[in-house]
Amino acid sequence: MKKIILSTLAGLALSSTAMADFPNKDIQGIIQWGAGGSTDTVMRSVSPHAEEVLGTDIILTNRTGGVGAIATKYVNAKKADGYTLLMGAENPQMYKVLGLADIDYSDMIPVNVLARGIPMLVAQNDAPFNTMQEMIDYIKANPGSVKVGSTGQGGLASIVMAMIESEVKLDVTTIPYNGDGPALTALQGGAIDVMPAVLGAAVQHIKAGRMKAIALVDNQPSPVLPEVGIITEALPGLDKYLPYGPFFGVFVKQGTPDDVVAKLTDAFTKGAQAEDFQTLMNNRGYGIMNLSGQPAVDFLENYRSVSSWLVHDAGFSKRSPEEFGIPRP
Amino acid sequence: MEALNYFALSWLSPELLALTALGTFLGIYVGAIPGLSVTMAVSILISFTFSWDVNHALCLMVGIFMGGVYGGSRTAILLNIPGAPSAIATALDGYPLAKKGLAGEAIGLSTVMSVIGGFVGIFVLAIAAPTISEFAITFQPRDYLLLAVLGLTLVGSLSSGSLAKGLFAGALGVLVGTVGLDPLTAEERFTFGIIELWDGINVIAAMIGLFGVSEALHQLHHLDKAIIKQKISRIIPPWADVRRFLPLSIQSSFIGVIIGALPGTGGDIAALMAYDQAKRSTKKPEVPFGQGAKEGLIAPEAANNAAVGGAYIPMLTLGIPGDAVTAVFIGALFIHGLNPGPLLLIEQPHMFWFTVGNLTLANIFVLIFGLTGIRIFSKLVECPKGVLIPLILLLSVVGAYAINNSVVDVWWMLAFGVLGYFMRLYNYPIGPVILGVILSKLMDENWRRAILSERGDMGQFFANLFSSPLSSVLFAAIVFALFTQTPLWTRWLKPKLFTKA
Amino acid sequence: MSRLPSRYPGERLFSFLLVIFSIFLLWRSYLISGFSELSSPGAVPIGASAMMVLASCIAFTQSLKTPLNQEARFFYHCFPPVVGFVMALVLVYAVVLEQLGFIATSIIFLWVALKVLSQRSALWSLGLALLSLVLIYVVFRLIFQIVLPEGIIPERAILAAISRFFGGE
Repeated sequence: MKKIILSTLAGLALSSTAMADFPNKDIQGIIQWGAGGSTDTVMRSVSPHAEEVLGTDIILTNRTGGVGAIATKYVNAKKADGYTLLMGAENPQMYKVLGLADIDYSDMIPVNVLARGIPMLVAQNDAPFNTMQEMIDYIKANPGSVKVGSTGQGGLASIVMAMIESEVKLDVTTIPYNGDGPALTALQGGAIDVMPAVLGAAVQHIKAGRMKAIALVDNQPSPVLPEVGIITEALPGLDKYLPYGPFFGVFVKQGTPDDVVAKLTDAFTKGAQAEDFQTLMNNRGYGIMNLSGQPAVDFLENYRSVSSWLVHDAGFSKRSPEEFGIPRP
Repeated sequence: MEALNYFALSWLSPELLALTALGTFLGIYVGAIPGLSVTMAVSILISFTFSWDVNHALCLMVGIFMGGVYGGSRTAILLNIPGAPSAIATALDGYPLAKKGLAGEAIGLSTVMSVIGGFVGIFVLAIAAPTISEFAITFQPRDYLLLAVLGLTLVGSLSSGSLAKGLFAGALGVLVGTVGLDPLTAEERFTFGIIELWDGINVIAAMIGLFGVSEALHQLHHLDKAIIKQKISRIIPPWADVRRFLPLSIQSSFIGVIIGALPGTGGDIAALMAYDQAKRSTKKPEVPFGQGAKEGLIAPEAANNAAVGGAYIPMLTLGIPGDAVTAVFIGALFIHGLNPGPLLLIEQPHMFWFTVGNLTLANIFVLIFGLTGIRIFSKLVECPKGVLIPLILLLSVVGAYAINNSVVDVWWMLAFGVLGYFMRLYNYPIGPVILGVILSKLMDENWRRAILSERGDMGQFFANLFSSPLSSVLFAAIVFALFTQTPLWTRWLKPKLFTKA
Repeated sequence: MSRLPSRYPGERLFSFLLVIFSIFLLWRSYLISGFSELSSPGAVPIGASAMMVLASCIAFTQSLKTPLNQEARFFYHCFPPVVGFVMALVLVYAVVLEQLGFIATSIIFLWVALKVLSQRSALWSLGLALLSLVLIYVVFRLIFQIVLPEGIIPERAILAAISRFFGGE
């Protein structure tokens, strides 16, 4: 018993002085989204690999709420010692213009931007169009009759539609859903006709012939669905926004010591290289990015500027991107 | 023959058998503790079983699922604190039974009926999965709206005294459910600019407060009252009882399977609807509903376990989760390199019969673990109140915190605890509040989708109500549900119709 | 609770407060999006709060008609001091939970609550409090990995030290 107390005390002394041997206790990973969501799945599958490299446990906790803002604020309220990681998706990059919070990823240090989803347009099988051009023509001929699913203003679907609307005006009926999963289910039941969703969420349904792919919102075809055209074939003007897509990343608070960031970066880079993680991401139709350091910062910056300005131009931003010095894409 | 092979896979391998048993055992406790949810447990297991073989991981998770749904009834019966929202209806008649000293019998009966419900769910999954999943996805926003309204007619059955008080409670629940950022437009509703309110008020926090904390506070009145001795001579319900209630449990199970199979509704709604249906159709309960009617215990228990099989139906055939837990299962399958989706059963045909076999096995373990150890559990109620109440309060606080790792949920739990205390005191029913919270999102979102689909044209909305057979049936069910609450039905027609039967 | 057509003291006040509360919520619902569209985010809240106003008014009028239960005294039958004490205790517990941490606050809460409610010796209460706390800690923190507020006791460092000790590093 005495020994336990002694070693406990030793452990206490250790944790307060020697930062050199990071990590010397469990690391807490705060996931922005709930259990079973795609962020959750990605983080739970990369973390065991990072744990191996770090030699400690990463305890994953889902702290949902406020479109991820609660988790973001929580991590930023903790010490900048690298023991609290934010495991998040793209949402914070829109907080400022949507007036949701005054903090985004540019105020944090990216450890690793793991992967990116590829947006695409899918339609129900009975829809009277098969390509992007046919869809635009049909909507123009039948204004208001096509029902497009959405995931709320500022969600991926609204941004994709804003991209398209920046080139061509379309009169559609927008039906909101809380997530692309429920919307894709509704698409199969015929409640909506078209849905902008990520490739990963739709690919299995397309392969099974339960819905059809209209176009990929990307600047190159995907090896997962090689026969599907890309959106710039019909709307070349969209090229300036692409590549674009929701992403998953691990972040720490600004001010975390460099050597700690380096250790974490190393761990997650190796984690993202693990074979089964790669297979998982390919199967789900996500593009592996595994970005850290400056390239990660650049990617995040581009994402923020594209979405902020699209949302602003479409008229549903609460504050102008200019206020935050976000440059136009 | 091959199907049988896969069906028996988890039965014949000692490892898989042991893991299923372990999972079921853990699940019962996860389910019984409010604040620990099956969803949470399964997602923790995802990282824990990361390096395992997929079959091993699935056995453990399926066990937790089956055990967890059943486990919610334990604390509902013994302490009036439902372990999960799907056990709320169980508490309504289960707890009165425990207060009469019949906790052992109530748990025994609920175990057997849960298992029967579980088997019905698995059976329907095994024989009719493709048909039911195709049916389930044809539900339009309009139909979900009607389903939610049908659910809300339960306010009548849940309020014993004044209907006005019941309606107030139900409406309050609906309102509580709308708090937070509107999921469809991100508009703030009743948030008063507080970021912690964006995600709304958690239904489990409200449930722990309204049931657990307010009950504990009420018990303080009776600190000196003699403890109720539990009769635990009979745990396994007599065969005559099982046979008498079999038709009711089968009927409730079918409600459970269908509601469970619908994406967007789960065991909680299924259990409440089954409770309502039981109350409506039971001709002469030995004891009135709400005071310890066995029918009121059986119906929700059979239904919520049947909903497990139901939830698997769209998940296995289409890759669409039937509830929150199957959504996590989909994530788990991905991590293990499978592609859950409409192609899963084509690429991995064995998955179907393996899951069916595994669910069956887990259900058998529910029966075994459910019927053993009841004695110790029943002793819980015999604990002196002065010891039990502090522990219930502590567990409520920890449970509320654990939902989302947030103190805000603890605050809400306390607020609802105090509100619930006074509501009980002045005969306001608390069941409708939770009912409202559960159904609020379903109603709100689908009402708006339905209206948006018609571009705001109410005439078109009503026309479509009668052009689709499904919508018409649901609409007729609502009219019937409202009609059965009028004096014409309760005083005149019901006795006439049912005395001959 | 008895279902006799009589009421406990305080029911009128409670029902009246519910009326006020409902009216306040109806006003807040109206502020969400007014009466703009049937599909607006405020539509269901307005409907629900209007129902609350209506129902609470009826319940209030009913309470005016029912006679008072003459034997019932508010601070004995409705709100005995012990209920107020426990409510206050839980409230304090929740307030300090995050700052002082789970272990420190829970042990004090349990000890005080057990001591007062069970009327046993202080030592007995402390022992039971410790035992139940260890059990809850093991289930929630160690098995289900729910990170309870850490506060003033550096749990993670202690846990790491213990596991290092047993790990024989």
